[in-house]
Amino acid sequence: MANVVPVDEFATGEWYPGYEPEHFSMPYIVDPAGPFKPGDEQGFWFLDFHWSRGLTPLAATLWSGDGYCWGTQHAAEALPLPPGRGVSARFAGTHLYGSALPETDPREIGARANRIATNLPHFLQNYRSIWESGRDELEATWTYFRGVDFAGTPDLTDLLGQARRYHKRAMEIHFGVMYPMLANFLGFYGACADMGIDPNQIGKFLQGEDTKIMETDRGLSDLAQKARVAGLTDVFETHEPHELRAALGRQGGAASLWLTEFDDFLQVYGWRAEATCDVGVPSWIEDNTIPLGLVKTFLKKDDAHDFVAAARNAMAEREEAIEGARSGLTREEQAVFDAGLQSNQEANFPWWQDDHNYYIDLKVMLPLRWGCQELAARVDADHKDDMLYLFWPELVDVATGRTPYQGELKSLVAERRQYFDHWHAKRGEMPKVLGTIPEAVEDPILIEIFGLNPGSIKAVQDPDAAKQTVMKGVAAAKGTARGIARVLQSSDEMHRLEPGSILVCESTSPSWTPVFGKIAGAACDGGGMLSHAAIVGREYGVPTVTALGVATISIADGDEVEVDGTTGTVTILTKASTTTADTAADAPAGVAG
Amino acid sequence: MTVEDVGEPTVHSCDAVVWIDEVDPQQAIAAGGSKMGRLAELMQSGVQVPQGFAVTVDAYSRHCRESGLDERIDAVIDRLGSSPDDAGVEEASAAIRQMFRETPVGAHLTGRLTEAYEELCLRCVDVNVPVAVRSSATGEDAADASFAGIFDTYLGVSGIERVLDAVRNCWGSLFTARALAYRLRKGISHHAMPIAVGVIELIHARASGVAFSVHPVTGKSDRIVIETSWGWGEAIVQGLVDPDHVEVGKSDGRVLKYDVAHKRIVSAFDFAVGAVTEIDMPAKLADRQVLDPEQVGAIASAVTAIEEHYGHPVDVEWVISRHRRPGDPVCIVQTRPVTVTAAPEEAAPAAYDPVALAQKYLFSGRPIPGR
Repeated sequence: MANVVPVDEFATGEWYPGYEPEHFSMPYIVDPAGPFKPGDEQGFWFLDFHWSRGLTPLAATLWSGDGYCWGTQHAAEALPLPPGRGVSARFAGTHLYGSALPETDPREIGARANRIATNLPHFLQNYRSIWESGRDELEATWTYFRGVDFAGTPDLTDLLGQARRYHKRAMEIHFGVMYPMLANFLGFYGACADMGIDPNQIGKFLQGEDTKIMETDRGLSDLAQKARVAGLTDVFETHEPHELRAALGRQGGAASLWLTEFDDFLQVYGWRAEATCDVGVPSWIEDNTIPLGLVKTFLKKDDAHDFVAAARNAMAEREEAIEGARSGLTREEQAVFDAGLQSNQEANFPWWQDDHNYYIDLKVMLPLRWGCQELAARVDADHKDDMLYLFWPELVDVATGRTPYQGELKSLVAERRQYFDHWHAKRGEMPKVLGTIPEAVEDPILIEIFGLNPGSIKAVQDPDAAKQTVMKGVAAAKGTARGIARVLQSSDEMHRLEPGSILVCESTSPSWTPVFGKIAGAACDGGGMLSHAAIVGREYGVPTVTALGVATISIADGDEVEVDGTTGTVTILTKASTTTADTAADAPAGVAG
Repeated sequence: MTVEDVGEPTVHSCDAVVWIDEVDPQQAIAAGGSKMGRLAELMQSGVQVPQGFAVTVDAYSRHCRESGLDERIDAVIDRLGSSPDDAGVEEASAAIRQMFRETPVGAHLTGRLTEAYEELCLRCVDVNVPVAVRSSATGEDAADASFAGIFDTYLGVSGIERVLDAVRNCWGSLFTARALAYRLRKGISHHAMPIAVGVIELIHARASGVAFSVHPVTGKSDRIVIETSWGWGEAIVQGLVDPDHVEVGKSDGRVLKYDVAHKRIVSAFDFAVGAVTEIDMPAKLADRQVLDPEQVGAIASAVTAIEEHYGHPVDVEWVISRHRRPGDPVCIVQTRPVTVTAAPEEAAPAAYDPVALAQKYLFSGRPIPGR
């Protein structure tokens, strides 16, 4: 019997103060995004770990409507996926829940299967040109926005519209490439497993390819090395990340030279926001705290992460895994394996899963953010981010001058900020799943990327989750590590990680990648074998367990834990004293105690 | 050498015993049962098999007829009715098997068997040569997997008296409770499937095991699967020992995997008892790899040859003798057709087909294997 978690609590019709249903009215393909509504408990909804901060009104509506729903449903219809029509989104407060949309009509499934039989081979034969032309199209639009003088544009309305379209188009390209690549990869994965290859080895066959995200990490590590040589270690040690820019500036001399190099680095790699497609968070260029904090922690480690050695190891491990797998196959099976490996090396899904974030996820909301900040300045808003608390129709009205910002909208923004903060604090208490909860899901994307396997689905329904000390999850990256747990709500808190910390979080995304150079292990609520944490854990050789369901509830900040990424077990060895002052102060909201 | 057939004028004297290397393969199964008949076929096709003879179906039938066993067996079975309970079947089985043990073999047949056993001793250059006495059933169902291991086998029987006892026990095993219940259920008369018994030179086994010309579970036909342990094969056949598991690519003979098992039990010759019995495996042998690559290759080529000879997948029982040298063939003691066949979706795909694989693993609603 499926367990039903009611959605009534979140389906009251109330949402952000001043919300009207037409604020969410936009074209949709199969199912539109929106706040939870009565009847939604018939679906199976999972709390999406990508947006653990919560989303502002503008971020929530545009990302869920133009990105999450439009992008996935567009791609699922175009390829098409025979039994799936993409993903839909609902909001409980500021928090996004996702649900896969099934196709159940057997005749439709048959017709869709015939279409993918033509379209998937065509995609794989032309993968490089399809992905690169999509990427180049987006880079061209990006270059256009970089050349736009936002401050010198009298009417921002068109720019805001263009920026919104850029994001929406990016999501069409994103999922249009992701679905067929994933289909090819999981087909290969299944064939390998059926041929008796250890599934833990399969992930290794495609590792060791350099990505833009790893390139960024190496750049930061080099900057840390240069800071050390320039004698700046003291400045980094004695200042918090948010004070570093000013402190280095005051120091002058070598510190100023270093800052110049740092800024040059940011001009290439700093156009990345701290979250996937979230207009509500700044880029590294806008807020240097994150990259400076990363340099600070790189300096704390005496032995710098050896990127060259790690890459060499990843490649050697890959070759060894491929050779080991091939040697156990018959000649007939080797022919299938070799062809499948070649196809997946050409269209390398795990590589793309990391690399594309540089071109798409971390960047495509920035032009809209710039437009909103320019508008905030013009209407004399209290805070440069105030426009992010408007809904799109309100934003357009302010941009065209139809509605003044000062007055009613301004006070709504103040109330919406409170609403956002209220739900931000409640993140740790949000149900991980809502609606009709199956014992197992069949959608491979939900299993392999989101980590929704029978074990984690069971774990998130355990009322005694907070008391457990031994947890089982997906053995995502091998090895064992012990250390002090740091339970983080979002990558905003990455500065709290020390070298040797055990990272505990809902899940990681590309903004987290640099911390894998210093942490000893990772334990995540979500994420399957193909999740970001699993892929990056393997690349960096960091023991990682994913799909624990409730690690952020069971583990408290400061606990001593052991992560066994070979068996997929996480054990709490010593509970932190809940009265320790610094732990209580550091613990993210909703998790302390 | 020949003992004259005095008391039985209507029956040919040669019918009681047929030799593996002398019988016409066309009649081998009819006379010697499926197990012995196939050994004769294998020998004809050039496969190494042990020396030995079959106590024929005719010999069994004549024994039952002349000793009055037929009437007494039929009386027990008639009393059972068509749908007896388990206890009734057990009781009838025990009664019939007791009759076989208590009914002496007639003088004529005793003479024929003594003569044949002495001939086997001569061929093996041994006194009271130890033999394997194996039931060799007939009838269509005898080849069926449901009868595998149902009838008795005695390993290491030495001396004519013990051979005669073992033959009578094998005859009686046609009436084990399982066999009895099976025939009652299917409405088959035991007269429709008389039994023969093989008396075969006991190969002094260094190692033995079974081998399949297709994967016995998945049915994949691109590989040979071997299971093996030290000593004789009984412990493996009866499932008493967890054997080493070897897979060999059929097209190139490459060892695909060799899983060494912890082997707790061994079938070894007990000189005090005069039989092969199951004892604890010596600690130093338990975790040792049984086969070297040359031996694996010899087993694989024998299995491949047998499959080619029959034109269908087979399983075999094989023995590596203590006296075998590298390059010698391995000795095959039994072969049967394999009934498992690969379901179309389980068969190894012929080529990498991303659409078919996506359909199979992503869009079928089934979890990806191994997850």
